[in-house]
Amino acid sequence: MYIFICEDSIDGIFTGIYDAWASGYGHENVALTAYEPENYMLFCEYIRVQTDFGKSGKVARTLRRHLGEETYGELCQAALAFENSRSRRHSMDKADAIYKTVVLALSRKDGSKILQCLGEPCVSRTFRLSRSMGNEAHHLLGFLRFRELENGVLFAQITPKNHVLEFLGEHFSDRLPEEDFMIYDAAHGQAALHTKGKGFFITDTQDLDEAGLSRISGEEAEWQRLWKGFFDSIAIEARKNPKLQGQNLPKRFWKNMVELEPSLRA
Amino acid sequence: MELQMDMDLFEKLTVLSGAAKYDVACTSSGVSRKGGRGGMGNSIAPGICHSFSADGRCISLLKILFTNECIFNCAYCLNNCDSDVRRAAFTPEEVCTITMEFYRRNYIEGLFLSSGIMGSPNITMDLIYQTIYRLRKVCHFRGYIHVKAIPGADPELVERTGFLVDRMSINLELPTADSLHRLAPCKSRSTILKPMRQIQSRILDNRQELVAYQKAPAFVPAGQSTQMIIGATPENDYQIMSVAEGLYQKFRLKRVFYSAFVNVNGNSMLPALPGGPPLLREHRLYQADWLLRYYHFQVSELLSEDRPDFNIFLDPKCDWALRHLERFPVEINTASYQELLRVPGIGYKSAERIVKARRRNRLGFDDLKKIGVVLKRALYFITCSGKMMYRTKLEEDYICENLLRDKSQIPRDIREGGYQQLSFFDKEICADYQLAEEEIVPLRQQIGAV
Repeated sequence: MYIFICEDSIDGIFTGIYDAWASGYGHENVALTAYEPENYMLFCEYIRVQTDFGKSGKVARTLRRHLGEETYGELCQAALAFENSRSRRHSMDKADAIYKTVVLALSRKDGSKILQCLGEPCVSRTFRLSRSMGNEAHHLLGFLRFRELENGVLFAQITPKNHVLEFLGEHFSDRLPEEDFMIYDAAHGQAALHTKGKGFFITDTQDLDEAGLSRISGEEAEWQRLWKGFFDSIAIEARKNPKLQGQNLPKRFWKNMVELEPSLRA
Repeated sequence: MELQMDMDLFEKLTVLSGAAKYDVACTSSGVSRKGGRGGMGNSIAPGICHSFSADGRCISLLKILFTNECIFNCAYCLNNCDSDVRRAAFTPEEVCTITMEFYRRNYIEGLFLSSGIMGSPNITMDLIYQTIYRLRKVCHFRGYIHVKAIPGADPELVERTGFLVDRMSINLELPTADSLHRLAPCKSRSTILKPMRQIQSRILDNRQELVAYQKAPAFVPAGQSTQMIIGATPENDYQIMSVAEGLYQKFRLKRVFYSAFVNVNGNSMLPALPGGPPLLREHRLYQADWLLRYYHFQVSELLSEDRPDFNIFLDPKCDWALRHLERFPVEINTASYQELLRVPGIGYKSAERIVKARRRNRLGFDDLKKIGVVLKRALYFITCSGKMMYRTKLEEDYICENLLRDKSQIPRDIREGGYQQLSFFDKEICADYQLAEEEIVPLRQQIGAV
């Protein structure tokens, strides 16, 4: 058995798929992992994959062409999904599930429908990873909060489990084309930046001007107060139900939401 | 966008959102629209929830009344002309500014605008139209808009407004014309159903226009909805669901909403409800509503003159399945989509996934679990490759007893919501779960106790 250890990112996993495929060892003799193995297994050869954008680009093009945009998108979502150590230990490895799904899909005429084959363990795993990433991203479409800074830029901070910036950047660029905005992912040290009338890009945030981010515009505090007032008055006292609220809006999102986090209120 | 920031706006907003809170339709679904240069906003078909208020309900739209002044005297309404509440009215500019500023901060998905009747239905509808016109054409807002059509307003005004909004609704308020006449003497069934019919036929015409000419403006693209108040009047579940079914079939409504009655103004014509609003009954009605819309059920299968109310202890689908055990168990690997839809614990999404996944592999119980089937409910009703999951009996009493052990039959948030009558139910369930199904009498009278 040959095990390819690749970086935990879309490009890392796609490069791993490329190398495993090109190795010629045969699909049944190779496996992928996106994580450092905790224990090395006997009779296995470990091969470290060097992430290569040329190779990952080729894989992406192939998947797009043969499986269609939708399935390609789902595979990318799965590759971006975050797994805690428990699910890593108990389920099929993320990179391996995606690799096996891709192998299966490319062997079929209707590869674009591969994610319907939920009876296949690798597909079922990929499907669940993609869904978990998609759920968090969809939550954040609603739960993300912008505040207006002194210079007119809209700024939002999030602390997601998954890498969701790409997804959010696309959504908000379409929604707010005439705004300058920045979405800062504090958990992964990245930010999506959008300039009025242009596209967005994602950048690392080593030298973030923390002080500048707390200087809000003159009107901002008043709008936050109005929103808080609305938020309180829209609840029906006779139906008060903190359990249901916590169920629908998990607590981990609260710290970045102005109506729910006392310390954020200007 | 200039706005005077003074106390007034804050107070107006709290008064006029507080006045709108009993309206339940706060979804932003049903329409997909890209953003555009020079404007702000887009819309995605599944809708987006932006927050959840202390009562656990979704906040998607900025839900406000234009004004809570009103010349009508509906007994159930906080804003009727006889009640002593603080009155306020927005200007169209104020509504637009708040909507735009909230939207760009991603607080909301759009606007839900309703209103009390100020002066006359026409004056009110015209103010709503002006507001929406300004929001769309001056502020270039491309997000979601839901407005109420005012009963009795000029059809021309309703039509013009319909071309600017995504969803329109007219509240049916009460399930029967009789109750409406008693509690809302200024409204009549015809002033409600006439505009509903108008919107329906306009939507149909518009579809053909859009086929012929793609750039034709869309009329109420997300369809229309309505809502009924539950528990204020003596109608039973059978009457309510039959009305809902009629609205879906004859008026092509997208949604019917049910609103558990809250006695806001202590009116003596209305029940006092010491145990709080009838939330469990509302929950059962919503479950049945989903069975109508997504599961191909008909009201006559769920209820009848002899059994006019839903079983409080079991959800309507389990209840139906227990009365039709001759149809079970169904074999997962061969049953039709329609048959799968009727199995408790299999949702419409799971049913679809099963039908697709089994083309390639035979499915077992493990696969079903991963697909999202709730096995603790489904296991009594299904086989995989001819085998049941455990040794169970296909017997009404036996299955009923086991299903009642499943606490999720009454959702946790209602069970533990802190209402007296519901903790009372919980005890009842613990004590009574061995009872045969026919011995369990519907206890709705206790919820909606007058």
